[in-house]
This record gives sequence, C-alpha cells and structure tokens, in this order.
Amino acid sequence: MEIKVRVDGVDHKAHAQLIKGTLWVHHNGRVFTMDASTGRKSRKKAGAGGSSDQVVAPMPGKVTKLLVSAGASVEAGQAVLVMEAMKMEYTLKADIAGTIDSISCAVGEQVALGKALIKIKPVSDK
Amino acid sequence: MAKFSRIAIANRGEVAVRIIKACEELGIETVLLHSEADINTRAYRMATKTICIGPAPTAESYLNIKANVDGALAGGAQAIHPGFGFLSENADFAEAVTKAGLTFIGPSAESIRSLGDKVHCKELAKKAGLPLVPGYQGENQEVAHLILEAEKIGFPVIVKAAAGGGGRGMKLIKSSAEAKELIESAQREAQSAFGSPKVFLEKYLDRAKHIEFQVFGDSTGNVIHFFDRECSVQRRHQKIIEEATSPSLSDDLRRRMGEAACAIATLGKYKGAGTVEFLLQDNEFYLLEVNTRLQVEHPVTEEVLGVDLVKMQILTAQGEFVHDPKQVRVPRGHSIECRIYAENPFMGGVPSTGLLGHVEWPEGPGRRYEYGFDAGDTITPYYDPMIAKVIVWDETRSRAIQKMIRVLQDSVVFGVHTNIPYLIEILSHKEFVMGTMTTRFIETYFSEALKEPELSSLDKKIAEGALLQLRGGGTQNQGANTSPWASYWRGI
Repeated sequence: MEIKVRVDGVDHKAHAQLIKGTLWVHHNGRVFTMDASTGRKSRKKAGAGGSSDQVVAPMPGKVTKLLVSAGASVEAGQAVLVMEAMKMEYTLKADIAGTIDSISCAVGEQVALGKALIKIKPVSDK
Repeated sequence: MAKFSRIAIANRGEVAVRIIKACEELGIETVLLHSEADINTRAYRMATKTICIGPAPTAESYLNIKANVDGALAGGAQAIHPGFGFLSENADFAEAVTKAGLTFIGPSAESIRSLGDKVHCKELAKKAGLPLVPGYQGENQEVAHLILEAEKIGFPVIVKAAAGGGGRGMKLIKSSAEAKELIESAQREAQSAFGSPKVFLEKYLDRAKHIEFQVFGDSTGNVIHFFDRECSVQRRHQKIIEEATSPSLSDDLRRRMGEAACAIATLGKYKGAGTVEFLLQDNEFYLLEVNTRLQVEHPVTEEVLGVDLVKMQILTAQGEFVHDPKQVRVPRGHSIECRIYAENPFMGGVPSTGLLGHVEWPEGPGRRYEYGFDAGDTITPYYDPMIAKVIVWDETRSRAIQKMIRVLQDSVVFGVHTNIPYLIEILSHKEFVMGTMTTRFIETYFSEALKEPELSSLDKKIAEGALLQLRGGGTQNQGANTSPWASYWRGI
C-alpha cells in the first residue's frame, strides 16, 4: 500500500507491504526488503552465511544430476550437484574440502529454497 | 478462408495476454490452454474459456502436442496461436494442428522445417549465398564427436539447441577441458526446454553485435521487412534489453541486411511474422538463425512503426492480410524494451519465486507494459523467469533511455526479487548510452552479482515508519489471496 512517513517534519511517500515476515519497501526509485521481526535488512535466506558444510538449494527447483556419492572426497569449489529452475541449469559447488557425509535429495526431486541437499564432513574433522 | 470466431492459445504468461488483447480487438473469443500451475495468472482470468491440458512440468502440458490439439478442439477453436517458446517453432505441432482441421497461426510446417530448424536453415542460407558463422550442424550428436568438431572450429565455440531460443540449451565453451560437461548440459537443457536434445556448434564471434530484422510474409506469400532491432545486451546468452532501430547500422548496411533477411524468408516460403537474426562484426554480417514465430521483443518494432504484429498474424492466417505496396513504412523515434525477470540481482541472478505482493507499472505517455501476473499471483519455478516487459518510446534514443530509467525506478514489484536494479545499471552505462555495446557487454562490464547498495538513514526511517503503520491498523496488507495455489507457493 502507499504510505507516508514523516521524517524531520517532511512527509515522504513510499510503498510498503508485509509478506510472510518480510517488509517490502519501494522508496526513492528502488525496492528493498527488511526482516520485519528484527528490523534488520533481510539477509539471504539460503546458505545461512559463511562457508558452509552444507550445500543448500539457492532456489526452488529440480535436482537433475548428482555429481558425487556418499563417501567421496571433494575439493572446495568442486561441482557437486546440478539443479534446474525456470528451464536453466545451475551447478552447485562445495564450499569446503572434505568428504561427502550424506546426500538428502534424489535426482528428479523438486526441492524447496534453502533445503540442505548435501552435507560435507570437513577435511580437518577427524 | 473463414473468419475465426475463437482462437486457442497454446502458451502462458505475458504473450498469452498479448494474444488475448489482439483477439479482443478483432472480436474473436479465446481458449487458453494452460497447465495446473497457471491458474493464478492474468491470462487465465482474461481468456473467454480456459482448458487445463496437464500438470506443471512443460513436457506434460505446454509441450504436449496432443493435449494442446485436443484442448483446442474441445474448446471449439478454429485456430491455434502458439505464442513464442514451447511449441511455436515445432513443425510437428503445426502439422498436427492442420491435420486436426485447425489453422496454425504462423508459417507452414514446411517453412518451420526449412527455416526454424537452425541446422536446415543454414543449408538454405548457403544456397542463397548468405554469409554464415563457421560451425558444425551435423546429425552426429555423440558428445565425443561434437568435441572433435569443436576443436576443428577452434575455441571459443558456442553450443546451441537446434530447436532452441531464449538462451536455454546454449553454452560458451572456452577450451577442450570443459567441452564434455558443457555439451552434456546443453543437451539436457535443450531436452527439457524444447523436447529435443539436438545441438549444433558455432564459432564464437567475440566483438559482435546482435542485429535482427522483423520479416513478415503476407497471405499471398509476399515478404517484406519491418526494419531492425538491436539485441546486443545479453546475459547468459539471453537477451535482456532490446531496441528498435539499431543505433549501429548505416543506411547502406541496413538496406543490405534487410534484403538478405527478405531473401531467405522468401526462399523458405514464409508466411506471417518471423525474425532473421544476424551477427555484425567489423561491418560484416553473418546469418545467425531464423525464428519462425513472434518474438519476445516484437513490441519495439510495433512502437517505432505503429503496427500490430499479432493482429497481422491472425489476419494473415485468415487469408486477409496483404502488404500495401503504396504504403512506405519508415521507423519513427526510438523504442526500448527491458525484460523483467524474477531473479535476485544481488545473488548472481538466482531465480526468485513465490507469491507476488503489490505490483505497480506507472502509466504515462510512450510507456507500455506487457505482463502476465498481477498482485496475488504466484511465480512458480517451472517456467521461464520473465514476468513482464517494459517498453518505452521517445523521439530520440537518449530520451528513450532516460525515460526507461525513470519508468524502472517507479515500477514496484513486491514478493519476488527482480532484475530491475541490474537493468538500471546497464541503461546508465557509458557503453550502452553510446550504443557501442557488443554481445559481451555484460560479461565485460558487470559481475554476476550486483553489489547491493547500503540503505540510507532516511530509507531506514521510512521502513520503520512503514512497519509501524502496517502493524498499527493495516487490514489489507497481507496480499489477501485465498487461493489454495497461493498458500502452497507461499511456503516456498
């Protein structure tokens, strides 16, 4: 909805809407989002920040190819899985070096955004 | 040929809406053939009749020839408009439509076979003496053989889907080492998007401009062109900004390329709207492919020439459209189109799906919007990420650019992320403003992910104030859609 917010005596016009806990705002020629509960700029939902021992779906889509199997060792940056969404392929890579601990998806499976697909046991983790 | 009273639309999204509008203007009813996933869309609400032809995956609905033909018959249509993508360049579909006693709105199956199949088209072009980019278009689709052919051509080489378009099934191979993986990936994408894994190889021209000519064959088979478009701004081989006319052509070049475009379309006995695509490098042009269908970027041609290509397609299929030799068409002013994709530009362009919140496309002179979704509709992961097209017209190219930036800044899409910030960056870039961009413009000047600008303190205060107001007394802020589909997608 269109709103007006008074800041230092001046009314500023913007559009804003709450969708599933995220505040969407259009102001001054751009759209941005905020986490409505914390009031902080909303962060990327997938990945959970930092180098991760998990390979997480960056979008909803279909798993089209698994390039590794459980127990295999992987290098950081190695391609481990291929996903398809909106008719394009996306290759997901391992963030860290290690061995494949578990695979929690199957070829052909439709997965949701943020789903953990592959868990990697870090190389240093004896 | 009898006048159509009802036309079936074998497509979805903004192009389905576009076709419905043209039909309405001609007093023709429409039957939308849609998948289960496309119930919350604008075309679904606008069509006279809707028939569900299958579940969400395209192979089981939009690419299913029998389901589409049966749907059109059940809906009482006399003709089928295939839009673009999906079955629009599928000769078997055109044939099945004709066999069922319906009219295919587009060229004949024979024309699609000779021109639409990129491989056959090149053979025809060779006969016509048109310059071609060196490549391999053979029948042998073994990966090992394709790698050998790629090495013969010399890297970089581009692998493309024979039945393709829209960047799907298209990969740039820079060395032998990555050839296997990329060819296999292209074959899978081609299968998934077009129902055929067939690919071909082409030498990659690294400083080329992408220039195309809109051709149109009337009911009598007379082909003329409706001038050119420049579509050099591409990302992952997918066009994102197109304009008419090209800022790069001299009068002489424009005349010669236009003649070449008409020559090949005439050879292919072309009827209806089609596009002849060229690469232009160092003032030499090479035939890239012919698209035997309406194109996504057709509105920029419509804007500079004041024509309605979809209406003309329908009239041609009815046998009623003939070019008037006395009418001299001259492009007027300049038009630009931006494709709005549901993707997050700050995360390398990963698809962004979900429930659309507030959507606003601000009106004004010389602005046009083509979109397939309204607030409350859902963007699913099953289809192409394009959710809308923004088209502007102005007297000069620089004014059109200026207007487009303003329009994009004023457009509001909540609920899914869009590439609008990316488009604004591109339109503001010196190279684009000067019109000197090549097909490598984006990879040269832009990284995969755009850096997200920090919020100003004013932005933060406005967000805080908005939150208070929305929580305080807001009753209408939750995207009040009660459809079961909406709630399903909301969870994703």
